[in-house]
Amino acid sequence: MTMHTLPRAFAMDAASSPAPSQVAIGRPIPAAAGIGLRAPHHAVVRDDRPAIAWLEVHPENYLTPALADELAAFADRYPLSLHAVGLSLGSACGLDVDHLMRLKALERRIRPGLMSDHLSWSLAATDTGPLALPDLLPLPYTEEALGVVIANVDRAQAVLGRRLLIENPSTYLEFAASCLNEAEFLAELVRATGCGVLLDINNIAVSALNRDADPAFALADYLALIPASAIGEIHLAGHAVRDLPGGRRLRIDDHGSRVSVQVWRMFETAANLLGPRPTLIEWDTDIPELPVLLGEAAVAQAILNAAAEPDWRHG
Amino acid sequence: MADLAALQAEMAQALLAGRLEDIGTKVQPGPILAREALSVHRDTALGGLRHVLRLGYPTVLALVGEDFFDQAALAFIQRAPPSSAWLTGYGEGFADFLADDEHARELPYLADVARFDFAVEAAGNAEAGQDGPALDLGEAVLRLDASLRIVELDYPADAIRDALAEDEARLAEIDMRRHRRPLALWRLSDGAGVRRLGPVSAAFVQGVLAGEDLSAFEASEADLRTLSDEVFSAPFARLSLKSRDGDFP
Repeated sequence: MTMHTLPRAFAMDAASSPAPSQVAIGRPIPAAAGIGLRAPHHAVVRDDRPAIAWLEVHPENYLTPALADELAAFADRYPLSLHAVGLSLGSACGLDVDHLMRLKALERRIRPGLMSDHLSWSLAATDTGPLALPDLLPLPYTEEALGVVIANVDRAQAVLGRRLLIENPSTYLEFAASCLNEAEFLAELVRATGCGVLLDINNIAVSALNRDADPAFALADYLALIPASAIGEIHLAGHAVRDLPGGRRLRIDDHGSRVSVQVWRMFETAANLLGPRPTLIEWDTDIPELPVLLGEAAVAQAILNAAAEPDWRHG
Repeated sequence: MADLAALQAEMAQALLAGRLEDIGTKVQPGPILAREALSVHRDTALGGLRHVLRLGYPTVLALVGEDFFDQAALAFIQRAPPSSAWLTGYGEGFADFLADDEHARELPYLADVARFDFAVEAAGNAEAGQDGPALDLGEAVLRLDASLRIVELDYPADAIRDALAEDEARLAEIDMRRHRRPLALWRLSDGAGVRRLGPVSAAFVQGVLAGEDLSAFEASEADLRTLSDEVFSAPFARLSLKSRDGDFP
């Protein structure tokens, strides 16, 4: 007999689903700095149990029995958040019910403190059938698209039996048909569905810089339009800069480096206004040793601690 | 909803095929050109799928190298893109694609290697420790693991995978002659178990898995010894004596 170690791979019943308030949520996510848990760090986190306030994973990476077992072991030791990438909440063809049910099964087992996905789409109905591309594709910010996202978020929350946080995406383009800006779109979504917002400050910076806008003004727009009570989590990450002809620069949200100075300043602004919130360091490409992530989380925690001082925030 | 649905269908197909100019007219002019922006999404989507195939077909990748693999993967992705965000199991048709690929004809065993890689992945992703089909043997009951599957290959893909994982020099020692090789694969706690089966054992196990009536299964003394060695005592099988009240483990 030969042993083969598996490579790591990179999911209705709405009528019977309880309303969001009826389902017990697992260990709550503290208003502190956590890290995204990725495969290269599984062993060291499992074996050494380092002090980390909380962990976040992409549930799509844990949908097989063996990987769900592995995730359950982490959830026993740390507060855990499920950050989905595949619900495709912006799809005009509606949700992939099979995928939603797989996520629901994992959610029931893990009982995450928070659950989130993105303001984006990845699934389209084409002449030849459904076509799913693994990316967070941009939406035109139109009334029609708003109606689609509202319907999909309503259904996802009903099936999952809990409130979702919706993350603002990084964008590289704007559609000519858009009639709302992103912050207005998200604020309407919150008002209509009761969902929360996962405020990704790096994404705000990337999107603003890619349209030659001031990231600080863009952040101020978000903070002015979205109710503070709806912002349930903050994401921080690094991004890549690619030089283009004509002295232009393209910012790419690759989660492959340290948080930029500009994003740290924006985070300080947000934390001082909002007070401490669960804050995550994301690092998905060129993943460094765990201490590097923990160092970035320590910087975020220091900013959260300063923001917790009442004189600083309200004085 | 018609406008958004049409836009998404057009955009997804354009990204897949690389026809980025199809979407350019729908994008507001800005400092980043539409082609440049859409390339970021195309690179992310296709790169992600290529990564999934690389993880799922490690032996194929080791045999052909990254350049060949990535070209074949891109062609496969464009012909058979995923229909769901759940990518476990994506790429099932990659073996048949390689079998038809004129560039892969120098490696006649490549498609079987891909079939074996996929079977290992599928077995390892199955539920562990679940009872599957059972066969009443009169005084005993034979139960097979629910994750068990039989794959029949013409080339020694299991030996090729082992050699590449352990000692590439062993590749030269492998008997590469073409003949039928039935393999049993099942879920272990940390991966997949693999065992070669003879033709009698393979036919027997496939019969049990298919729920066939095996009362007329004819076996010689030698066949029974083979079944005992290869199936009844295998880690994927559990033989229980019956008691009056039911199974007696």
